[in-house]
Amino acid sequence: MKISYSWLTRHVDLAGVSAHDVARELTLSTAEVEGVHAFLPHLGDVTVGHVVERDKHPDADKLSVCKVDVGQGELLQIVCGAPNVRAGLKVAVATSGVTLPGDFKIKKSKIRGVESNGMICSERELGLGDEHNGIWELPLELRVGDKVASALGAQDWVIEIDNKSLTHRPDLWGHRGIARELAAILRRPLKPLDAAAQPWSASKAGEVAVRIETPNCSRYIALAVQGARADKSPLWLKRLLLAVGQRPIDLLVDLSNFVMLDLGQPNHLFDRRRLSADGIAVRMARAGESMKTLDGVERKLEPSDMLICSGDAPVALAGVMGGESSKVEGDTSQLVLEVATFHPTVVRRTSTRLGLRTDSSARFEKNLDPELAPLAARHLVHLLRAEQPDVRVVGAPTDVGDWKSTARRVPMRFERVRAMLGADISDDGILDILKRLEFGIEANSNGACVVLVPSFRGTKDVTLEQDLVEEVGRIHRYGNIPERELEGALTPPPRDEGWKRRMLVRRVEDRLALAAHFHQLVSYSFVHDGLLEKLGLAATPHVTVQNSIAEGFSRVRRSVMPSVLAVLEANRRRSASVALFEVGKGYVPSEGHEPLEVHEVALALCAAPAKKDARFDHNSLARLKGVVEDVVRSLGLEAGAWRKCESAPSWANPGRCAELRIGDVLVGELAPLEPGLARALGLSGELESDTALARLSIDALLGAAQRSKLYQPLPQFPDTLVDVALALPEERAAADATAAIERCGKGVVAGLELFDLYRGPNVGEGRKSLAWHVVLRASDRTLTDQDVKKFLERVEREAANLGGVLRRE
Amino acid sequence: MTYSPARVRELLTRIAEPLRAAPASTELSALLARLDAFQQLPDERLDATTALEASGAPLGAMRVIPGPSRGLVGATANELKKLAEAELAAHAERAAQAALEAERKASDFDATLPAARVERGALHPIVAVTRELEDLFTSMGWTVLDGPEVETEHFNFDALNIQPDHPARETMDTFWVATPPGAPRLVMRTHTSPVQVRAMKRLKPPFRAIVPGKVFRNESVDASHEHTFHQMEGLVVGKNISVGHLIGAMKTLLRGIFGREIEIRLRPGYFPFVEPGFELDARCPFCKDGCSVCKRSTWIELLPCGMVHPNVLRAGGIDPEQWTGFAFGLGLSRLVMLRYSIDDIRHLLGGDVRFVSQF
Repeated sequence: MKISYSWLTRHVDLAGVSAHDVARELTLSTAEVEGVHAFLPHLGDVTVGHVVERDKHPDADKLSVCKVDVGQGELLQIVCGAPNVRAGLKVAVATSGVTLPGDFKIKKSKIRGVESNGMICSERELGLGDEHNGIWELPLELRVGDKVASALGAQDWVIEIDNKSLTHRPDLWGHRGIARELAAILRRPLKPLDAAAQPWSASKAGEVAVRIETPNCSRYIALAVQGARADKSPLWLKRLLLAVGQRPIDLLVDLSNFVMLDLGQPNHLFDRRRLSADGIAVRMARAGESMKTLDGVERKLEPSDMLICSGDAPVALAGVMGGESSKVEGDTSQLVLEVATFHPTVVRRTSTRLGLRTDSSARFEKNLDPELAPLAARHLVHLLRAEQPDVRVVGAPTDVGDWKSTARRVPMRFERVRAMLGADISDDGILDILKRLEFGIEANSNGACVVLVPSFRGTKDVTLEQDLVEEVGRIHRYGNIPERELEGALTPPPRDEGWKRRMLVRRVEDRLALAAHFHQLVSYSFVHDGLLEKLGLAATPHVTVQNSIAEGFSRVRRSVMPSVLAVLEANRRRSASVALFEVGKGYVPSEGHEPLEVHEVALALCAAPAKKDARFDHNSLARLKGVVEDVVRSLGLEAGAWRKCESAPSWANPGRCAELRIGDVLVGELAPLEPGLARALGLSGELESDTALARLSIDALLGAAQRSKLYQPLPQFPDTLVDVALALPEERAAADATAAIERCGKGVVAGLELFDLYRGPNVGEGRKSLAWHVVLRASDRTLTDQDVKKFLERVEREAANLGGVLRRE
Repeated sequence: MTYSPARVRELLTRIAEPLRAAPASTELSALLARLDAFQQLPDERLDATTALEASGAPLGAMRVIPGPSRGLVGATANELKKLAEAELAAHAERAAQAALEAERKASDFDATLPAARVERGALHPIVAVTRELEDLFTSMGWTVLDGPEVETEHFNFDALNIQPDHPARETMDTFWVATPPGAPRLVMRTHTSPVQVRAMKRLKPPFRAIVPGKVFRNESVDASHEHTFHQMEGLVVGKNISVGHLIGAMKTLLRGIFGREIEIRLRPGYFPFVEPGFELDARCPFCKDGCSVCKRSTWIELLPCGMVHPNVLRAGGIDPEQWTGFAFGLGLSRLVMLRYSIDDIRHLLGGDVRFVSQF
């Protein structure tokens, strides 16, 4: 909202307080100021001139050559095209060097051969409105050579206030409300409003008949006004409206706007001749009804919209915009002034639904004080009469509605105010602040009192003792409250489930980022429909938002993996190898309940395809398996129990998916990226990749039994190294063979490292050769050749049991 | 005794003398001839290796030396051998020292040659900063809490004193979750504040908690707006908690983040779940007289905060007459951007490894 500094001075004396001071005071006590800027700064550059002579241009009928006194001693010769220029006028002169709105720079020039040393300006050329029929005729009493701005008192500043910071303050939606705040802050009196002095003798059955048929209109005032003319507005009015960004139209429209911006109370003028003799009805719209608003748009109405009707015909969308049918035309002199109080939610819903946010709706939706309505009505009539003294109100004003005063009584304890603020303000200090804000005080005794909240603050903002704490605090200034340390017993946070999860996640992240050199992602929770389609999950139920940020982004991930898949191709395109992980949450819908929250880590390792002759473990799958095992072991868990996964997740190649279990609990899966999906994701052709993925359930890891770490005595006897190669049927798992080898060692196998996996003619079709470095070590003696020989003999027998053979060189 | 050809000749002479005096034999003559041959060598050829060889001649022919001379000749020959060996060792040591010196005076060194590549990974900056804040607060006895991203309308709005007709519901640009008719309505949480009431229901006052997490707003995305971003809620409930405590806690928070004293100011701000409510501005840590970060104002709007509204305490089952509290909502994404001078919020969740790898 724009606030004009000079407009404020109509309500409070701001001598010695600059616009920037006002901005600072408001910021610290009232609302957020977004900026302060000078209004029409070029008015400060334009000079008051006196047209001393005017002659016709020798070569152009419509041009005049003027001699103008601008207080420089010498007269300036200026060529002017305006029809109203004549000797004796006081005019606004832009001398050469001055820049006018639109970055129009005035220079010495020759016009049809005659030298011209500046420009005599119209109002439009100065940004003062649309008037361009001639030059601007200034009052004759102005002093030649003064700047126009100071001569007219037109220098102004615009203070821009963030509307959001006024959401709870309907009283601040006009200049008088802001001025009232400043008066309280600066300890200066608020000037009385002339209109308030005028008596108000409204009656329920006044000149204009009004029927309220809905509880959503709590007060409706209607006045019949006769003799008003849609003249041009006086300069002071145009200037103030322009400063706050309103375009002046004519006196009637301008005054109606002025009263809204002055007091914060919207109002509306109807052409009385266009209203039916049945008077005005306020009612809710009927299904299927429609009306044309002032902006010429035909609006379809809903039963939630409130209407002002003439007879039964809609003439205004209550609180939002007038109707075209009762628009005031220039030639009318019979008006009906409406000043009403409408229900905030009804107005807000209508304006939101129609996308029709007006100055009026913005104010009504804040919940206006019904007692503001008669004041606004009187204010408008008063201002109108000041310009057009023969205007009169016909008959008694109508004032109907079952409104109740919003003034209220709120009990307050002084000690509570001090305790809540942590500030040592005396009882008198507290009372002083409240009185400055126009709050009344009753029954002050025993450290408590009853605060009488005025109606303009009682609509919704101030209803509790806590609200009074804010009033005292903000005027006292929060900056004057001393800082305090929190006190209390210092105990470590409970080692509950949340703490354990956080610590586990940290360890997983550290292991992955710092040990395995993976890059951590934090991604969106929304997944694109296209990706779900590729994953074959399009039909799987997802938590879905009704209003997505973009087409196809309505679904919330059930698992973290899709988020990782979504960025795989882009990163692979930029780098030969990509190692990513994300720790996050997925949501699984649960009929009629809050969705189930799952905590997961998803990993991806993506590189150029492995070379044909690469070692068996030089590929993404083997590497990622190592990373996963490292993570799991670092948590103090066993990571050996892999087996083929029978129900592979949709991202996994189903033929090559392994699952990890700890006890009976499934902890996660590991697999190469599903090959069709790889292609769909663009990881083909030049970007053909060896991609392995893994998922680990944080929840499962958290629940898995931890192995306690115990010290193992260091070996006292030397290691004996022996290589074992077995040729085995393809379907025999490596884990079966290693288990067998360990059995054969009878407790002396201290280490096993697979170093070769071979398939080929030497071992035959459907068979594979596995070779291990085996470390044998006994805890009580040095092993002999004889021990090794016996061990190998046992391995040979076990190999036969597994359907294989021990390979000898 | 230092090595010299003269010394070698002297020893050779002392070896030969008793042999010449001894009864002649063919072998002895041959030995003498060999010794003479060494004696004849010019100085420059009489080096330690040759001397060692010369000492070997008598030592290898002891049996041809007549008994009475054997002891003297053997002793002298051994002296020669030791002299030669010592010289050889000294020579080797000199050579080794020279090599070390040459290595130290390396002429082929280029300090700017690139390093061997070391693989590295990275924690996401949001995670890194979250951890820092968690550590800061837990060190002061605060608890870290978590809450669901898909939240009920009750916790996200109603319990926070944001009634169904409240304009704040609309200004928050809420993502509404499709739910079957009659089921409780769900939203993507618009702030971390719903965890306030969840915390009140779970923890017994007094308590202090922070809640870092992801939040969602349906607003158009540009360099400074995202539909998904991170916040960190803070909540303290206790006896006689006041605005003064809030100010103290916020100053501590900023000291922790920026590592030095940062001036702050509180000014009125409106949020339905606090009363009084504030906007907290911090004196711009990047400039003294206005810069682009603070939009030339020298203040940075850092976080909304306030005293917990009595209705919110009640919604959490806490008696507002007994207990008071304060809450704040730190824009974690914004703080990360400030910390690292990130100019586009979209990088945070954009998933580009080139971004993450910088941290």
